[in-house]
Order: sequence, then structure tokens, then C-alpha cells
Amino acid sequence: MPHACELPAELTIYTIGEFYPECVNWVTAPTDEHDDGCLRVAAGSVAEVDAAGVQLLLSLLNSLQRQHRRLTLVDPSQALMSAVKTLGACSLMRDADLKGVAL
Amino acid sequence: MSQAPSDDDLIQEMLPAFIEEAHEQIAALEQLLLQLEATPDDSELLHALFRCAHTIKGSAGVFGLDRVVNFTHHVEALLQPMREGRLCLTPALSTLLLQSNDVIRALVNEAGNDPDDDPDTVQTREALVTRLKQATAEATGDTPSPARCPTEPTAGPDADTGLRRWQISVRFTADTFRHGIDPLTLLNYVAGLGAIPCALCDAQTIPPLEALDPEDCHLAFEFQLDTTATREEIEQSFKFAREDCELIILEPGASPKDLVTLIEAMPDQPRLGDILVSAGAISRVQLLQGLQTQNEAADATDSSGPAPRLGEVLQSSAAVSPTVVAAALQKQQRQRSGGPGTGDESHYIRVHADRLDEVINLLGELVIAGAGASMLARQTRQRSLVEANQQVTRLIEGIRNSTLKLRMVPIGETFTRFRRVVRDTAAELGKEVALEIVGGDTELDKAMVERIADPLMHLVRNALDHGLETPEQRVASGKPPQGKLTLSACHESGSILIRIIDDGRGVQRDKVLQRAWDQRLLEQGEVPPDHEILNLIFAPGFSTAEKITNLSGRGVGMDVVRSNVEALRGSVTISSEGGQGSCIEIRLPLTLAIIDGFLVGVGPSKFILPLDAVVEVIANRAAATAVDASGRCCVELRGEVLPVVDLRTLYALDSPPPERSSVVVVRSGTRRYGVLVDALLGQHQTVIKPLGLMLRSLRGVSGSSILGTGEVALIVDAAALGQLAAQPRTVHGKTQRSDGSASPIAHTQL
Repeated sequence: MPHACELPAELTIYTIGEFYPECVNWVTAPTDEHDDGCLRVAAGSVAEVDAAGVQLLLSLLNSLQRQHRRLTLVDPSQALMSAVKTLGACSLMRDADLKGVAL
Repeated sequence: MSQAPSDDDLIQEMLPAFIEEAHEQIAALEQLLLQLEATPDDSELLHALFRCAHTIKGSAGVFGLDRVVNFTHHVEALLQPMREGRLCLTPALSTLLLQSNDVIRALVNEAGNDPDDDPDTVQTREALVTRLKQATAEATGDTPSPARCPTEPTAGPDADTGLRRWQISVRFTADTFRHGIDPLTLLNYVAGLGAIPCALCDAQTIPPLEALDPEDCHLAFEFQLDTTATREEIEQSFKFAREDCELIILEPGASPKDLVTLIEAMPDQPRLGDILVSAGAISRVQLLQGLQTQNEAADATDSSGPAPRLGEVLQSSAAVSPTVVAAALQKQQRQRSGGPGTGDESHYIRVHADRLDEVINLLGELVIAGAGASMLARQTRQRSLVEANQQVTRLIEGIRNSTLKLRMVPIGETFTRFRRVVRDTAAELGKEVALEIVGGDTELDKAMVERIADPLMHLVRNALDHGLETPEQRVASGKPPQGKLTLSACHESGSILIRIIDDGRGVQRDKVLQRAWDQRLLEQGEVPPDHEILNLIFAPGFSTAEKITNLSGRGVGMDVVRSNVEALRGSVTISSEGGQGSCIEIRLPLTLAIIDGFLVGVGPSKFILPLDAVVEVIANRAAATAVDASGRCCVELRGEVLPVVDLRTLYALDSPPPERSSVVVVRSGTRRYGVLVDALLGQHQTVIKPLGLMLRSLRGVSGSSILGTGEVALIVDAAALGQLAAQPRTVHGKTQRSDGSASPIAHTQL
């Protein structure tokens, strides 16, 4: 079953313009009563990512934290994890729940 | 439908602003270099110097001015080891950098014209590049350079592996992504130099999603790099992003002094921890640990007791040197108090001078219209209307003063330009000269500043060429070998007084007289009074220089100086003492637009005296005074003789004199004189209008103004009228009153 929130295959400066409004919707959409305060985003299909893409995720995390919510990147791809590690995006590593890949 | 401008159109549109700003940076660079010659270790100045070069290079890159970018890059490369304390600024390096700055200026001047380089220019530039590279290599190469500061420690490579751990901080600009730079690729590339054991992205600089433009880059990283590479190689790896990031590379084993220097150079950050992390004094992890320790200590402390300070916590937990913490605290304090380098730029806006001129022109019309409305209100004798108009008049006066201040700039900016002139000219002439600038913060109208720069240049060069002697000549005449040239400015009686003073040989009267006789400016053997001999140097074509140099001696300078100064409604005088030096005084009005005036009437004619020059009035005195054909007479004022000018006679006004008249006492320089008038009409805001062609030759008048009634009033030139009053009288009439008494009827101190 496809995940409700999913990162695209390409998360780079060339695509984030299109993807950004969807991201904003995730943050601004009303949460239902079963929401546990955690936004789960499928990240397994990310094949290409650059610093602009990681910045967008950090920004998403910032917004959620302001709402006292959390971010879980489900099954992040190796490409995404490698970029996050290289850029030292420690708040994503520390605060976002990264499942499936050992850093 | 309008078409969006292309990039080329935008660049062409913004190019003038770039050129203007680049010239400001170039001027600042020159001044900083000259200041550094006196204090070569001043790290603030060195950092400012680097920032100037970096700004020029960065801005030029935006406009695709490759020649500026390429050349300035070599200057920047030489400045880098200087600001890191690895290279001292020697006089030779200063000269090299000044010459390089001249080339940058020339390249910026060519911006937009894109002429082909002529071979000579290219050769000169390449020669300078070679010298810049050589100097940089000496500072950064393995071979110790004699120019290195012997006291500066440098970290040596690890004896076993050659690996050294560098602390690197990089902050990207908003346009980084748009310029095709991907920080991720860059960091991977840098990692290729060795290994990055730890990298931290500062997530606090990234705005939340709602406020994010996803194409703006907000990324900032701190990381360690274990490598055998040199600083230059590390810098080189950032080559393609140098315009898009602020890079701080901290050498392994950096001493507290290095850290302090780095902290001084860093961009402003509000928090102490951020400053220390950015400088590499502590890691982000150490900061978080320190903050946690601080919080825990605060919880444990009694609420009434002082909370532990982060700086103290970090000194104990992260072994940060107290000197480094003190430097970071000092920087933080300066930022909070709004000191230099704290982003003051945000308090200023750049406005085109034409817009200000337009406002001032409209203001002039408002002043005239306001005066007309006040007069009409007075005629109605309706008290409430008169009071309302008085309020409007007060507000107009406030707006006038505030608006005129917008155009006022300190003359110091012009003065400091001469530091380079003095330095180079003195060197060319083999003279030693110290330039002293006094009152550089004195303000005057921007237009005046621009127009006085050339006359001042002539005077400074003349003082250097003719006035000051060579060191040998000075020593022979019992003076110190180094001459002194002083440029000073101050406000005096509503004018600005600029003095150019030298302690040289002074004007040689015998030479001046001989040359005046030779050039038939005087009859052979005629010896006029001393001040007239001195004034001969302002005569057209006059020069006592024995040989013509490219600096002076062609006899055009001083004549042009005088005419330029007089065109600004100013005056120029000289005083000189043989063997002791000379002093040239230039007196200028503060503004060319609006002044406070004192309105007087002579028959139906109206005159305005500059209010600042008016000392007092002797009102309603009996008119009978012996006046000569030129309109001059004398009255007695507190036992002293006061020369007086009668405007009616001077300007041949037809109206008959009244039985009683008034004398307005005016100050011009150190002299006082009186102006005989029929009526005192009070203070008046005066919008200065130029005189028509026919009236320009009128002596003692500098402009005109339109009154509220629509009448025209002539503005009296206090200095010129003072000269008329001081001239010897042709008819020696005694100061007399018709009743034989001497004292005036009333004195009003203004």
C-alpha cells in the first residue's frame, strides 16, 4: 500500500519547487484525532538528492518541531542517508526517526 | 504588454551602482593601506582591507567583469596571509598594493565600455600580478620569508603521518543553489583531500517551511578535515564557490591569538556559543554539553543567586582560553551596542543625489510660498490665522534644516584622499612629509565638497612642491627633516573655513616681486603692501617656480583655485612668514541652497545679509554721516571706529535717504564693519537663486532671493563687502552725527 506522504525519487534543486507545496500541505493539513504527533514520510524511493533537498527536509523538521510534532523518514534510501551524513544534518539524524538504515 | 528585462538589461541597469560602490571600496582600500603604514599590526584594519578587496571581487564577478575579478584575486591572495598574521605589511608591499589598487580602479572605470586592453596596460598589469604572486608565495611557501612576523607561531605538520586536523566553517549565501553550486558535492570534493571525521550542519539557520524559499540556500556547516593538504589546497577546493560562501579555515594547533583574530574577522552572530563554534574554539557538541552543564548548574543554584555564565562553563568544560572567551564577549558586546562592523549598513539607505536636489528645489519654493502666505496672514490681522501661519513657518524651517542636513557630508572624506597624493608626491620630490588632518568631521554641502576637491588638490601639491623643503634643506635651516602639512576644517560665522598649513620656507617676497616686475604685473621697482605681494600669487599666469614640473609651476593652479573658490561664493587668502611656512585659508558658505538671512531695506530695494554674519544693529540713528563717492564712511561704536558701507551710494540707488537710518554690524573673518540701511525688516529664510548675467559683476552681492511678496532681494556677500569697507577712503569724512553726539541711539544684540 503506498504511503500517504512520500518523498519523490529526485529531491534536488530541480524538483523541490514542485515538491515544496506538497511538503507545506503535510505541515498545514489538519491532524486527525488518532494523530500521534508524528509525520511519517516514505523515503525509500529517493534515488537522487542534493543539499537543497536535505535543506528542505531540515526546514520541514523545523516546522513540525514548532508544532511539537515529530518527523519519521520511513525506509530512507542509501542515497538520502549518505547525503544526510555527509552534510552533518544531525538534527535529522537525531530528531527525525530514521528507520531501516544504520548510520 | 511589457516584456521582462533580460539579464543583460538588468546588468547594464545596475552597472553604474556597482561602479559607484566599487569606487567607494577602492577609496577605502587606499585609505586603509595608508593607515596601516603607521600601524601595520592593526588586525581590524587588515580585516577591513581584505573585506574591501573581497567585496570588489565578488561584486565584479556578478557583473561578469573577469579582468577585475582575476586581478583582484591576486590582491586578495596576498592580503590573506596578512590578515592571518603570517605576513607583515612592509612599505614595499604597501606600495605594491597601492599600485594594484590603481589598476583595480582603472579596470573598474573600464567596466561597461569593454575596450580592448592596450599592450602597455596588459604588460603593467601582468608585471604587478607577477609581483603579487611572488610576494604571496614568499609569505605562504615553505621557504621562510624575511617579511614574516617572527613572533607568529605556525602549526607544524604531524611528524608521523603528516595529517593535520583543520577546523573549517563555511556559510553559504542565499544564491548558492541558483549559481549552480551544490554544497553536498562540494563537501564530498573537500573530503577527497583526506577525511571528514565530523561534520555538523547548523539547522538553526534554516527557516521553517512556511518561510522558506526552497531555492534560497541557508546552509552553514562546521567540519573537521584530516588532511596533509596545505591551506592553499584546501582553499582551492572551494574555488568554485568562493563567491557564494564565507569560508573560515582554522589552522591545526591554532593559538588563542589566532582564535582571537578569527573571532574579530567573523560575521556578526548574536550568541557567544555560536561565535566560539564558528571560530573553531569549541565544537558544536562541546557547546551543547556546555549549555546543558549551564542549565543544570542554574537549576542547582539558588534562584536568587547569579546563574553561571556560559563563558565560564566553557572555560572549565571545554578548556577554552579565557582570552578567546573575552574576545568573543567583546565582539558580542560591540554587536549589541551597534558599534562598527555590526551591520550598520542597515541603518542607511542610498539615495540618488538628483532626488535630494529635487526635494531641495521644492523646499525652496515652499519657503517662498510660506513667506507669501505669512505676509498675507499678517495683512488680514486675524490673530488665529497669523498664529497658524507662524506654526507652518516653524515647521517649514524644521523641514528645511533637516533636508539640508541630508546633503551635508564630512569634508574628511575629501581630506583623506590627499593622504595618497601627499605620500606619492613627497616620495617623487624626495621630501619627507607628515600629513595632519584636523576637523575631518566638519560637514558641508555635498556639491561644495565635490567642487572644492580640485582646488584643494592644487594647493596641497603647491605646498609640497614650493612650500616644503627637502630634508637636507630643512636640517640646514634648523628644522626637523620631516615637514608637516596640515589640512584643517572648522565652522566659523556660518561659513566653513579650510586651512592648508605647511611649515616650509614660506612665500619668498623678493622672488614674488621680481617675477611680478618681470611679468609686468607691477611697475618696475614698485613695492606694494605685504598682503598685496602675497596676493600676487593668485594672479593669472604667475609662478615663481624656477623649473616647470608636472606638479606645479605652470602658473595656472593658483589663479584657477581662486576663481573656483569664488564661484562657490567663497574667498581665499594667504598668510606667510619667511622660513616658518604658509597658511592658505579658504572660506566657503555651508550650503548653496538656503540660508537664514537678515532682511534690510534701502528705499524700495531689499537686501539680505547672512544672519550668521550679523553681530548687532545700531537702530534708528540720525542719518547725517559723511559718505565718500564709493559709499564708505565711519561711525563710532563703543569708542572705536567702525568702517561702514552705505548701500544706497554703493549701488547708486535713486531713493532719497531718510532722516534716520540704521547700521547693521557684520563680521567677516576677524574684521567687523557696518552696513548703512534705511529699515530693518527682520529674520528671513532665504532661498538662494543665482544672479543673472548682468548682475554677476556687481561687487558685494553673491546671489538673489525671491521674497513672499514676489519682490527680488539681493544677497550680500559679507566677505566681499567687508573688503570694500576696509579699502582706504578717497574722502576722509569724519564720523559725525547731526547733533554732534557720538553714541548711537539703540543697540540690539542679536
